This record gives sequence, C-alpha cells and structure tokens, in this order.
Amino acid sequence: MTRVSPLMADASTSSLAKNPALIALAGWLVPGAGYLLLGQRARGLTVGITIIVLFFLGLLVGGVRALDVPGYGPHGKPLVAGWVGAGPDKEGNKTWEPAIKDTPPADDWRLEGWVLTTHPFEEIRAKPWSIAQVMIGPIDLFCDWWSVRVSQPSNPLVPHSPPIAARSHSRLNELGVLYTAVAGMLNLLAIIDSSHRTSGEASGQTGEK
Amino acid sequence: MLAAYVYHYRPFNDPLPIWTDARWPWLLLPLCIAVAVVYKSIRCKSMRRVPREAAGLVIVIILGMAAAAVALALVVRGLER
Repeated sequence: MTRVSPLMADASTSSLAKNPALIALAGWLVPGAGYLLLGQRARGLTVGITIIVLFFLGLLVGGVRALDVPGYGPHGKPLVAGWVGAGPDKEGNKTWEPAIKDTPPADDWRLEGWVLTTHPFEEIRAKPWSIAQVMIGPIDLFCDWWSVRVSQPSNPLVPHSPPIAARSHSRLNELGVLYTAVAGMLNLLAIIDSSHRTSGEASGQTGEK
Repeated sequence: MLAAYVYHYRPFNDPLPIWTDARWPWLLLPLCIAVAVVYKSIRCKSMRRVPREAAGLVIVIILGMAAAAVALALVVRGLER
C-alpha cells in the first residue's frame, strides 16, 4: 500500500492495528495512543489531550489528595488488617475482633497483612472511584503515589504535624473526584472504541477524514 | 496582622480556593465540554464535524442539568409545604 497522506496508516501501523489487545494496552498506557497506533492522529490527540487535561483539572480543583488511594490511610501510611484484642468472652477466653488500621496498637494486636493483599475487594469497594480513576493508566498510578506522599506529615519528627497537602472537603472534593473519575471512564470508552476499530481498520472500513 | 490570614494557595497541594456556593457550579462547565468533545470524537466519523456537534452536545447537557435542577427544586419546595 502506498502512503500518500500522513493520516494514512503505514505498513508497520497496519500490523499493530490488527491486534485489539495491543491497541487497548496502548490506550491505557497513554490516553489516545490507541487511535494514534491506528493512524488516526487527530482523533487520538483530541481524545488524549482532553482526557489528560480533565484529569489534571480535577486534581487542581480538589487537590491531589482528592485521589483516595486503596491500601493507604488518610495519613499516607499503608493500611494493615489484623485482629485486635476485645476482652474475654463468657468462658474467660480471650476474643479478637477484625480491624483495619494505619497505625496498629503496640500490644493486643495480631497482624494479618497489608489490606490490599489480604482484603483487596473490600478495600477497593470502600474506594470505588479508584476503579474509574485507574483507567487513565500510569498517570493515575503516579498521581496516587503523589497523593500518598503529600498525605504524610510535613515534619516526620513531630508526631501530629499537619500533612504536606491539605485534603479537600464538600463540593470541591466531590468535583475533584468527579473530574478524575469521569476522565478515567472516558478513557475506558476510548480504549473500547479504539480496540473495536481494529477490525474495521484491518478491512479498511474505518478512517479519519 | 492581616498578612497572617492571607491564604497561601499551592496548586495541586491545596484545593481550589472557592468558598462561595455561587461559584462552584461554573466548574461543571469544563466537565461538560470534555465529555462532549471526547464523546463526539469517538462517535463522529469525520473529525471535522466534532467542534460543531460537541458544541451542540454541551448546550444539551447544560440545558438538561438546568431542567433537572429546576425539577428537583420544585420537588423540594413541594415537600417543604
């Protein structure tokens, strides 16, 4: 096939465009990259830039701590699951109650492990927006790391010093979460559409004008 | 003294300094625009049609939200009586 326009897919693009899983993976790694691999540059750039701008606009509105990271507590410490001592029962045997804490007590505590490995579904169900947000890909994972980092105390030597970044509340938090989650869901839509277009691209039905 | 109360806004570290209820609804506008642009970029066969169709969709979304807000306000007022 002779390539006469920059919008047309070249030979290497055609072989990549036949693999829907690869297109979906590219779209997850970088929003809009699935369309770029299909040779649809304008669509890829429009979708990708809009989604990334929307995501960062959400972080600007609600602050980076609007991202509620599964497995981490409000102070940026890993949440651990375990059993805390709950006193003796009627027969005098010691009883234990399940608990999830970011700072477990020094005594009367039986550690089970990090909550994301011991109770992953419960933890993600408690922070459902993170499912939509992770659809943005590594950008969200980087921002999650950023959120955890700035949740930690500004002075680690002072036990109750304020965190590096403030946590938003009320409407601004809701809008920050909404922006980032909608950006993730739009990227999921783009991933599904771009990988679906691989069949049309292979047969030459789908194109960009 | 006054300087001590000046809010030192740090982008991304602090939430946007919007304190009044009159201003935050304007933040829904970028969300509507982004949703319309991405949706129409996916739906339209030709990218040349996207700006016009996305603008139309933005208006539809805003009118829809305004209608929903009015309907909910009427329901709340009706329940208050």
